[in-house]
Amino acid sequence: MAAVLDARRSRFLLVGLVLLHLVAISHQVDGGGGASLLQRAIFGVFSPLQNAVSAVVRGISGAWTGYVSLRGTREENGRLAERVRVLETLLQERAHLAREAERLRELLGLREILPLDTVVAEVVTRDGLPWYRTITIDKGSDDGLALEAPVISPTGVVGRIIALGPRAAKVQLLQDRDSGAGVLIERSRVSGVVSGQVGFSDTGSSDLVMKYVRDLADVVAGDVVVTSGQDRVYPKGLVVGRVRSVGKGSGLFKEILVEPSARFDQVEEVLVVRKVKSPLTFKQRVDAVGTR
Amino acid sequence: MRRWLWTALTILMALLLETALGRLVPGGPRLFDAFLLVTVYCSLMGGETHGMLAGMCAGWVQDIHFAGPVLGLSAFTKLLVGYAVGVGGGHFLIVGPAARALVLLLATLADALVFQWLAAVFDVRALDLSPLALASRATVNAVVGAVLFELLDRRLARRFAE
Repeated sequence: MAAVLDARRSRFLLVGLVLLHLVAISHQVDGGGGASLLQRAIFGVFSPLQNAVSAVVRGISGAWTGYVSLRGTREENGRLAERVRVLETLLQERAHLAREAERLRELLGLREILPLDTVVAEVVTRDGLPWYRTITIDKGSDDGLALEAPVISPTGVVGRIIALGPRAAKVQLLQDRDSGAGVLIERSRVSGVVSGQVGFSDTGSSDLVMKYVRDLADVVAGDVVVTSGQDRVYPKGLVVGRVRSVGKGSGLFKEILVEPSARFDQVEEVLVVRKVKSPLTFKQRVDAVGTR
Repeated sequence: MRRWLWTALTILMALLLETALGRLVPGGPRLFDAFLLVTVYCSLMGGETHGMLAGMCAGWVQDIHFAGPVLGLSAFTKLLVGYAVGVGGGHFLIVGPAARALVLLLATLADALVFQWLAAVFDVRALDLSPLALASRATVNAVVGAVLFELLDRRLARRFAE
């Protein structure tokens, strides 16, 4: 029995000493790539085993996630679909708010440039009757508005107030064929009057027509048209649009079509002028044009 | 304790002998391995544990003094040889000069072959012994060793008899 124990002990001792020597020798031998040869040898022996074990574990976990853990997926799918619907609605609201913020920022920018006492109003309804082109805004006499007050947007002149309540007002758009505004060509200072062409049930063009411009006047397509201030309604220098075409009219006047710069069908917020503080300077008119 | 003291002494003597041989006879150490003789004798006398530990120590001394840049190869081979001879000595009756000469022959061959194999595995540059050189080494070790062992046995027997 003692001899057996001795033999076993000597075997263990042998194995231990052999390993010790292998480690000691391998530490002195560089196997290339910075690792000792023993490290590379052991890694070379055990890494296939590691790969095999890893593949087995991957297979088992794949079977688990592919089959066993699919229980409850239908309910989870339903919950997630509902959440997606909620999030999509939220996203649309956020996008709408973002667009509104952008519009208000534009409006604010315009407000800061213009030396006008203005108030921001929101468009509540548009085109209640087919004969007129009008919008209703959510500000009225309680907010300091008056009849004939000009209504503008960052892109251009919108119209004027034609009916007033304490907390609401009706605005006649420049598109309406019964509207009118005194204008001039910014470049050549040729003056005239613009009015709309849209009448009953969308008949007529959305372009404005510029009247009373003499045949010899210097007007070309592309000219910017601004308010002249001569009608005592719209302050001078506000952008109305651009000349789309110049033709020969009947009699002594040209036939000029003006593409309005205001987006009448898309306007959501407007500025209503309460009071003109001072006439616009040239720079202010240029800056106002630049906000389009 | 006394046994280990004698073992250390014999290893020291082997070192001195190899050193002297190297100076007196050029190429002499290539033919004669005193450290291997110490290993085999300790294994035959003390068993596999004593043999492998004595071989390990002798091998380290040999490596430190005579080996190249990598140490431990001789220690490793003599460790294995010491264990093998010790186990063999426990199973077979290895007495008499002939038997011991045979053991020394085989031990020398094994020591050289394992050394060369280990050097190849670890990519250590070591001179390979030709078959003739190997045979010569084994023969010299066997003859010298057998004679030495016989002399030692007689000395020890006389001492115990006293």
